[in-house]
Amino acid sequence: MTPTPDMTKILVCCGTGCIANGSLKVARAIRDEIVAQGVAATLDLLVEETGCSGMCEGGPIVRILPADIMYYKVRERGAKDIVASLGGDPLKRLLFKDARGERVTAQSENPFYAAQVKIALRNVGLIDPLSIDEYVARGGYEGLKRALAMTPDEIITEVERSGVRGKGGAGFPTGRKWRTAAGYDNYPKYIVCNGDEGDPGAFMDGSTLEGDPHGVIEGMVIGALAIQAEEGVFYIRDEYALARDHVQRAIEAAERAGILGDDILGSGKRMKLSIVRGGGAFVCGESTALMASIEGRVGEPRAKYIRSAERGLFNQPTVLNNVETLATIPYILKEGADAFASVGTETSKGTKVFAMVGKVKHTGLVEVPMGTTLRTLIYDIGGGIIDDRPFKAVQTGGPSGGCIPDSLLDLPVDFDTLKKYGAMMGSGGMIVMDDYNCMVEVARYYVNFLCEESCGKCTPCREGLRQMHAILTDICEGRGEQGDVELLERIGATMQDASLCALGKSAANPVLSTIKYFRNEYEAHIDERRCPAGVCVKLTEFTIDPEACTGCGACLRACPTEAISGAVKETHVIDSEKCIVCGSCREVCRFNAVVTEGRRA
Amino acid sequence: MVSNEEVSSIIDAYPRDRRYALAVMQDMQRTFNYVPENGLIATAEHLDCSVAQLYSMATFYKALSLKPKGKHIIKVCDGTACHLRGANNLVTGVKRELGIVPGEVTADGEFSLELVNCLGSCALAPVLVIDGVYHNKVKIDAIPSILKEHATPVVTQ
Amino acid sequence: MSTAKTLSLTIDGTPCTCESGEYLYDVAKRNGILIPVLCRSDAFEDHRACCRVCIVEVEIKGRRKVVTACVYPVEQECAVYTNSEKIVEERAIVLALLAKRAPESAEIVAMARYYKAPELDRLVELDGGRCILCGRCVQACESLGTGAISTINRGTEKEVSTPYHNPSLACVGCLSCANVCPTGAIPFIQAPSTRSIWGRDFEVLSCERCGAPMGTREEIAYAAKKAGMETPVICDACRKHEIADSMMGTYRLV
Repeated sequence: MTPTPDMTKILVCCGTGCIANGSLKVARAIRDEIVAQGVAATLDLLVEETGCSGMCEGGPIVRILPADIMYYKVRERGAKDIVASLGGDPLKRLLFKDARGERVTAQSENPFYAAQVKIALRNVGLIDPLSIDEYVARGGYEGLKRALAMTPDEIITEVERSGVRGKGGAGFPTGRKWRTAAGYDNYPKYIVCNGDEGDPGAFMDGSTLEGDPHGVIEGMVIGALAIQAEEGVFYIRDEYALARDHVQRAIEAAERAGILGDDILGSGKRMKLSIVRGGGAFVCGESTALMASIEGRVGEPRAKYIRSAERGLFNQPTVLNNVETLATIPYILKEGADAFASVGTETSKGTKVFAMVGKVKHTGLVEVPMGTTLRTLIYDIGGGIIDDRPFKAVQTGGPSGGCIPDSLLDLPVDFDTLKKYGAMMGSGGMIVMDDYNCMVEVARYYVNFLCEESCGKCTPCREGLRQMHAILTDICEGRGEQGDVELLERIGATMQDASLCALGKSAANPVLSTIKYFRNEYEAHIDERRCPAGVCVKLTEFTIDPEACTGCGACLRACPTEAISGAVKETHVIDSEKCIVCGSCREVCRFNAVVTEGRRA
Repeated sequence: MVSNEEVSSIIDAYPRDRRYALAVMQDMQRTFNYVPENGLIATAEHLDCSVAQLYSMATFYKALSLKPKGKHIIKVCDGTACHLRGANNLVTGVKRELGIVPGEVTADGEFSLELVNCLGSCALAPVLVIDGVYHNKVKIDAIPSILKEHATPVVTQ
Repeated sequence: MSTAKTLSLTIDGTPCTCESGEYLYDVAKRNGILIPVLCRSDAFEDHRACCRVCIVEVEIKGRRKVVTACVYPVEQECAVYTNSEKIVEERAIVLALLAKRAPESAEIVAMARYYKAPELDRLVELDGGRCILCGRCVQACESLGTGAISTINRGTEKEVSTPYHNPSLACVGCLSCANVCPTGAIPFIQAPSTRSIWGRDFEVLSCERCGAPMGTREEIAYAAKKAGMETPVICDACRKHEIADSMMGTYRLV
């Protein structure tokens, strides 16, 4: 059904997070209720499953337009009341409660959404991703039409003027990349979409592909026109089944609509798109490894002194862009470079999408102007730290990034600033940590991840990670030695310079940045055999403070190993023999009675 | 064992071009729960490359395995968000119930356990996925009932 | 695209010239400056650039960066430093890491000592390690042999092996892999009439005329098939003699 402007739309968020919370069942229940209550006779109604609406924490989310009512944590049983209330007052109990405890109705009244500016995510969560008609109704493929009336050089100039930079992490100017590839008279050329989002803790690209596949396809076609390619490949992560399905169906719809194929919208230009399913390797996010993977080889990077724009996929000129970058391109072509450049900072134009997760109250997907501060992101949009515990650090850029401490919260987030402080914006993963997270353990976690995910080709990355992992494990288990921190720094410095690819060059960042900002935690582990956060199992012992314990029994019920005993209203005790230091008791205790003590290893 | 006919039916759908090596093996993985040795050999012949090159890929890419996986695949997410919110506890919980650690299959071939990097549901950490069904904010004591939900029902006479 | 033009550069202060696009390692070598390498071999055109021992600093317009000389194409005028403080330190760390990986390799241990790699007792040694994963053996097997071996696994678990760690069916026992290995990490046994490598035993054939060893049966058959010839039973030297003899006979008839 083609939507009309004044019809009532019920948008049910069906991003991966909301589906996991049962949103498909909610959508079905709403449809059933509409039939049962017979409201379709009086109301022009449309129920749609959309992509991620952002606030995953509050899912499943249901939004009603044009009234702009946003319901959170909707269950199947809520469907009846939602349908009954259509056209009347909103259901108070399903509305968002803001920090003052007030219920808010519209999306814009929710502080999570208030500071956001949506360019790449302009359609995500608002349309049925599988409906090309809806995409077109929201101005989709207008940018392509404009591009078709331009020369390749004009398209590139427009993209250059917009100042857009690659959002996969490195921040290379997209226009310049296109111009380089356009400069080679060697055909065929290729355009590749990097949808191998491998950062653990990031889901921006997956959500974009799921929620607005046509937006990315349009960006691909425009890019192809600019560099004069006729073939494009989506490389999509193995784990993203839903994203692959949506892109596949959108490609088919675009072919039927004459947007792809032998005669793009009657222009005589050609474009063919296909999907390659990733093999499950973080390193394949690196451009040369990704291309090796598409070619049917092991995903090992090569030295990049000869750039992909000259010799890339199958040794032909190739442009590789990230999902978010491509999703931004149609906006630039449709609204113009100036409109895009009016958002953001001097050197980082436009917006950036972040997946904000970890110990923040409102986790989810957000898009903000470049230059927004970390404080705005975490406290205004994210609502602060869970249980109002103290903020400790935010890890940006995943395993390639770094930890940023409290003292730098007022830094504007853009490509250049974070780099200066030893972190990087990365592709947009943002993991918030509180005082219950151990920074040494976090560094060890990332190094362990990279030990498995490094391709293992070059010495500094492979051997450096192996040695770092051994040292960090020793520190976490109470066998740290004097000089360990300096040794980690020394190995890390060589890895940064001498590794072959971007993964290896950045692999030491989590270690080096945690040393830089949390050296005292390393020292506590090494000098005092103590884990200040109470995370490292061999250095931590949980006990119950008899002064604070009320004997409520919450910890006893939460303990997975039955290590806690105690009668009701009497002080509880932890049996350290049975305790696995999982922290469940500490999490549920409302009286801060569970305390950690250093344990001699 | 997988028959050569079953293997051929997958391979023959692809043109003889090296670029399909990963896709062919992924299809086998989906169909057989692993990439069998005869499948590797036949693919090498079809794509005119060496068995060693395909073996190299099969051991490089995590989506492929050379040993059959369990009937039900338990994925414990160890993405950063899940890690910080206690993914390790979920591994402990599964181990206690089924006696397997990541990478292992139960003796009856019912379940295999994998520790994976980020399943894209970070906002609802920690996440455990069985046969594609997401379980959010899982607590260690909920694991027995989740496993029961997915186990093949025992038919009593 | 562009035709090669001549560039001038300095390496450790020595003025040199080269053609645009030439690899820095080759330019240095021609000018008598030897940059250490491990994974690079003259036997191959492509270099993997993975050992990272050949790192040098290149300065262009006042900006310095670390590159690997074996695959860095010189495309503009630059100053190269093969022994700057940074390079000396980082090369030493790379070699120290390799020495911990391959403590059984006398070559690596000696090289590490020569380049003053720190001892770093704190680091873990790999038991019995000799292989530095330079990949030369795999390259050799793919280009000269039959593609019997490859790297397997990834990350810190990476190694070189035959499929399934089984005796390789594809291997012809040509020893190309062992011959290019810089650390002698590939074990093989060579007896007068037998050869063993990668878990397989091969029969070594001798020339029917002079009795000199010619190679394994599989190796000879493979080479002949590749060249589109019949499998020979006599060695190259004897074959040349045979041709010469028959030509002599022809002349005599004339």
